[in-house]
Amino acid sequence: MKISKKIIDNLKKGGVDFYLSVPCKLLANIIDILEKDKEVYYSAVPREEEGMGICAGAYLGNKFPCIMMQNTGIGNSVNAIVSLLQLYQMPVVFLISYRGTPGEPVGAQGGMAKITEDILQTLRIPLLHCTSENDLEKISTFSKHAKVVESPVAILCDFNLMKDDK
Amino acid sequence: MNRFDLLNKIQNILKDNLVICNIGLPSQELYKINDQPNFFYMLGSMGLSSSIGLGLSLSQNKHVISIDGDGSVLMNMNTLATIGNRAPSNYTLLVIDNGSYGSTGDQRTFTDENTSLKDVALGAGCKKVIECSGEETLNELSKAIEDKNNSYVIISKINSGNVKIDPIPLNPITIRDRFRKFIGIVKYL
Repeated sequence: MKISKKIIDNLKKGGVDFYLSVPCKLLANIIDILEKDKEVYYSAVPREEEGMGICAGAYLGNKFPCIMMQNTGIGNSVNAIVSLLQLYQMPVVFLISYRGTPGEPVGAQGGMAKITEDILQTLRIPLLHCTSENDLEKISTFSKHAKVVESPVAILCDFNLMKDDK
Repeated sequence: MNRFDLLNKIQNILKDNLVICNIGLPSQELYKINDQPNFFYMLGSMGLSSSIGLGLSLSQNKHVISIDGDGSVLMNMNTLATIGNRAPSNYTLLVIDNGSYGSTGDQRTFTDENTSLKDVALGAGCKKVIECSGEETLNELSKAIEDKNNSYVIISKINSGNVKIDPIPLNPITIRDRFRKFIGIVKYL
């Protein structure tokens, strides 16, 4: 739980107060924490693209939203990111479990892993890649940055960083 | 009654609530009829009107009306499950169901064949689902807003058909900021 707690603490410190998730095994602890948290809004959503829409609405209503998902979810959301969040300059934090990075046991996850960072770079989305526990400290400042530049930002958390978070 | 007639008819209700309006002709028609700062016009992201409105209703207390279309709901049907489980009572989804993709040339949608969005919404867990004619929509909409205990999905069955219209001249940041100013968030305008 240590890693997951640290991620949530830093997101909260960055001002994030509205959370959605499309589940991932690597996000299970974070989801557990948020389900019990009374300070912030949390809900599951069935699909990432829809989550982008809900985040946009939450931003319009003065929340600072975060959507948590696997990197596969970026593939499901490209149009919503570009023609909604970026078009209207809406700050939203994407917290992404980076499936298919070393340590991943499921070979099929490798495909999206190979192109995830390329997609984010093509979309000009500021990126924080967390490979070790120390990187997690950067999440609060990075989240605040989303508000300053009025843009979605992406935090990638590697498989090996998340997998042993007992 | 077509979409333009319906939007005209429900103007007095829309102008007092936060409105998220679907991309394309619905937004262009609404803009032409009676532009208001509390109307958020979608310029992209087809399918997400329902979802944007849901996020907005979860984040503040004013009543939110998402104006959506049958084609757009068919594109983001999982949203009905989220609404069925999470929508607060200050949320109304108005689906203007004309059985066609109006903005792309009036191709038929599946609601013009076998699909009932009412049945889908009920199956998805939405409790208050009203299917009505265009003429009945104003009344159903005001009842939905008056009910402080339930969210609503209203499916307004109308005819297809569009009026000739121009794109919205507002830029996205103008739409965003005047909308947030209306809510009381933006102070600098």
